[in-house]
Amino acid sequence: MVAHPGDPGHSRSARRLNEPRPALVACEDGVPAAVDRVRVTVVREEWRVDDRWWTEEPVERRYFEALLETGRNVVVFRDEASGKWFRQSA
Amino acid sequence: MIACLSIPGFSLRAPLLRRPELEGKPVALAPVPGTRPLLGSCTRAAHEAGVRPGMLLSEALATCPRLELVEQDPAGAEEAWEAVLRRLEEAGFAVEPAEPGCVYFETRGVERLAGGLEQALRRALDAVGEEWGARVGAASRRFAALAAATVAPAGRALVIDDGEAHLFLEPLPLDLLPLSPERREELSELGVKRLGELARLPRSAVADRLGADGAEAWQLARGEGGAGVEPRRPPAEITETLSFPEPVANELTLARALAALLERLLARPERAGRAPRQLALSAKLVGGGSWRRSLTLREPTAEPDRLRLALASKLAELPAPTAELRLELGELTESVGTQAELVHPRGSRLRERLRVGLRQVRAAVGSADAVCTVVEVAPWSRIPETRAILVPRDD
Repeated sequence: MVAHPGDPGHSRSARRLNEPRPALVACEDGVPAAVDRVRVTVVREEWRVDDRWWTEEPVERRYFEALLETGRNVVVFRDEASGKWFRQSA
Repeated sequence: MIACLSIPGFSLRAPLLRRPELEGKPVALAPVPGTRPLLGSCTRAAHEAGVRPGMLLSEALATCPRLELVEQDPAGAEEAWEAVLRRLEEAGFAVEPAEPGCVYFETRGVERLAGGLEQALRRALDAVGEEWGARVGAASRRFAALAAATVAPAGRALVIDDGEAHLFLEPLPLDLLPLSPERREELSELGVKRLGELARLPRSAVADRLGADGAEAWQLARGEGGAGVEPRRPPAEITETLSFPEPVANELTLARALAALLERLLARPERAGRAPRQLALSAKLVGGGSWRRSLTLREPTAEPDRLRLALASKLAELPAPTAELRLELGELTESVGTQAELVHPRGSRLRERLRVGLRQVRAAVGSADAVCTVVEVAPWSRIPETRAILVPRDD
């Protein structure tokens, strides 16, 4: 018998950094009023991301950068396809 | 006896095994992206419909509109071929691979174990598995064994006795000889179309007309030459694979991913300080095909910068976006002592401290994947999660 000093090898998957995490967002007129039950003091910025419209998985998001009453700055977005809210560092 | 195991059209058969729905259909290997649109191997059904390997794609589709194309998958084929070789080695044969789909081995050692030559050849066929449609030829010379394997039906063995080799070879076509198409054409124009016709010519005349290649072909046609097998050393390769969350086409990103793979490979404990002489970089391409490039170093080295430099140019040859990148270190040299340095290179102490610190973090967290390198994939992207990926590190 011939021995095999080799081994099948390592295989690992790279992970995405900064994946969106589901967030609990209460809205008033489509604008976040509270994020994870903490009131929003002011919405500092708002922008849209429409991308990959040429693929089968288009990205349609409406981002908000908001200042919470605790003093924290958060970025949340509404996925226009599913209507769900997510938190993400932009 | 020398045996030759042959799997015709291996590069096509390997991807077809993964797609049983194409069984019995006219199928051919698609042209390599970025090259002339020429077909690769084709199935019997395609052959019967008039399709031939090397045909222009447009011509082939005009000849057989039902022709199905299968993407070239050299990395997959190489992997499947290595698995076949390993199964033969596990069955006790010391193999000398000639090319994917053709391997030589000596039967003497296994004959006693199996109970005879026929049984040993059966053992080889069983080890490979019937799905490959392998056939075996055995003779006292390599060329006669190859010719016998070409003639044998799928799943069967054909043994040529020493005294009958020249009679067996006589009616066979010249295609089996290792001659260039131009030389074969030349012989055909001279009316020499069979091995027997070539063997009957005087050696000096053949050598005079066709040179050294012709003289060698003449010898083979007479059933002479090539009486030994040089078994390979089973490879001791170490591999690392990195799958991307989405296909990557950017060269800079691929270079960073390659650096991360190299770092992980060199940190593998089974390398035991040995330096690789061979490297193979392969990729799974978006759309199902694959790509592979091998590299043999002039001097074995384990210096990451030199290895990175040697591999970087290959990345530019990738024909399509990559879903997975794989790096193999092969032909590891024997372990040698390392000369201690009087003056440490700049930064080496810091790197060593960092390595110790990372090991501590990994031990504290209890997960090998706890420590990762951030590799920027598309920093310009408007979608934040596609800008960078986390690649686990092993050091």
